[in-house]
Amino acid sequence: MTEILERISTCVEFGKVDIKSPYPPAMKDQEGAFELTRHALDEGIKPGEILEEALIPAMSRVGQKFSRNEIFVPQMLMAAKAMSSSMIHIKPYYLSGETKRRGTFIIGTVRGDLHDIGKNLVSMMIEGGGWEIIDLGVDVSTEKFIEAAEKHPGAVIGLSALLTTTMENMRKSVEVLRNRFPAMKILVGGAPVTEDFCRKIGADFYSPDPQGAVEYLKTLA
Amino acid sequence: MRLSYRYSELLTGIDALAGVMGYLPGTAPEPVTDLIAVLSEELLATGEARAEYIIFDHVNLDPVSKTVEFEGVVFHVKPIIFSQIKNAEGVALFICTAGREVGELSRKSMKEGDLLRGYVYDVIGSEVAEGAADRMQEALKTAVALSGMGITNRFSPGYCGWDVAEQHKLFSFFTENYCGITLTDSALMNPVKSVSGMIGIGRKVKYAPYKCQLCDDKNCIYRGRKT
Ligand code: B12
Repeated sequence: MTEILERISTCVEFGKVDIKSPYPPAMKDQEGAFELTRHALDEGIKPGEILEEALIPAMSRVGQKFSRNEIFVPQMLMAAKAMSSSMIHIKPYYLSGETKRRGTFIIGTVRGDLHDIGKNLVSMMIEGGGWEIIDLGVDVSTEKFIEAAEKHPGAVIGLSALLTTTMENMRKSVEVLRNRFPAMKILVGGAPVTEDFCRKIGADFYSPDPQGAVEYLKTLA
Repeated sequence: MRLSYRYSELLTGIDALAGVMGYLPGTAPEPVTDLIAVLSEELLATGEARAEYIIFDHVNLDPVSKTVEFEGVVFHVKPIIFSQIKNAEGVALFICTAGREVGELSRKSMKEGDLLRGYVYDVIGSEVAEGAADRMQEALKTAVALSGMGITNRFSPGYCGWDVAEQHKLFSFFTENYCGITLTDSALMNPVKSVSGMIGIGRKVKYAPYKCQLCDDKNCIYRGRKT
């Protein structure tokens, strides 16, 4: 890997957004993910390469450290911020079609549930894994999930629920989605959700944390 | 009894909030501690948490069905909680909330793309809701001590086997809505940063100083915290 890609990757992993960000102290006054990505593109490095060789591996290291309790939510969010600053330069290539995403991931918190932190963390990490995110928000009805699935054929879908009562709504939504889109991959998660529950309701995959979902999606794309 | 607390009474400092996020004292990165300081400061002045409890003196405790009944309403609290409440002469039901503002600030920050800020507001909200419940519990303890009674720990629907759907029964006693909490069909409280539950009252009830021994949730982030 070229030196600049390595530097971008390190910036994202440690949350170094741009030259102005004072954190991490060891990188103070140095250029961050934002500037370095610009330079890399100017040097002729392909946006897809930046994504595949710098950004996605950085977010993957972040996700793994989080799974091992070596870092906590705030550091994951700081890394995501650095990644977004890099993406500012890369997004135009998505729009022009020059760079492709790995796929589309639709996510929402199920009907009757208003929790969004966990869902937001999952979307952010999956976006960091190279996927386009369609975030339907909280209190999402089955109809809304269906609508989104119809609009994005081939998308993978993720449902989040934080209470045992709203897990019931998760069950109902998954049932309808499964019937309607037999081939669609369905992921479930949230504090009270378990592997066992996932299997019982006919979803494809459960993960207690975002990284598990990212790894699973890698096997699909 | 209706109670109100300023956030300044409930927030216990940067290390405590960083601790909830997972950090040992002194190990949280600077941008995180800085943000905790700034946002707590912002909310200290304006933030208000509310709590309310109602005491019921005539209760029936059924050791066979593990239920607590009063005023015609039966609560299926299940064995773990029942074993803690079984010697009670009365019970208190409570609800408390960190209010609407902190959740709105959190959502707004997240929407604008500042996830870290949104997350810090979220954790502050959780701590304030728990802190208000602690203070409410202290107030109840002091009040019943006057008549020589003690209290149990507080127990919430959704914990220790008690079905979260029983929140509907619990909320049927709080009709005036001093705390401003509404319940969705799926028993979720809105604002989200709210806590509800039941506390046993009596001469022979015990307070378990280390509550985690009662509960079997191995993943709970509160596990092992001695509060
Ligand atoms: C902090 C907390 C609170 C706080 C804040 C609530 C909030 N959520 O904002 C307070 C004190 C207010 C609270 C209140 C209550 N709580 Co509470 N709370 C928690 C606690 C300890 C942590 C939740 C949290 O913020 N986690 C951090 C976020 C980032 O994690 P997350 O949302 O789970 O998301 C992660 C994963 O689940 C996963 N994920 C999430 N979605 C998805 C989706 C997909 C597709 C995938 C792959 C992964 C995934 O990835 C995320 C990142 O790692 C949990 C226990 C626990 N250990 O999780 C209980 C918990 C959620 N609470 C619970 C309960 C019961 C309640 C109350 C009903 C109790 C009561 N009667 O008062 C109330 C309800 C409040 C309401 N509004 O109705 C139960 C819910 C289960 C149930 N029995 O229904 C839990 C699970 C505890 C338990 N008993 O086991 N709570």
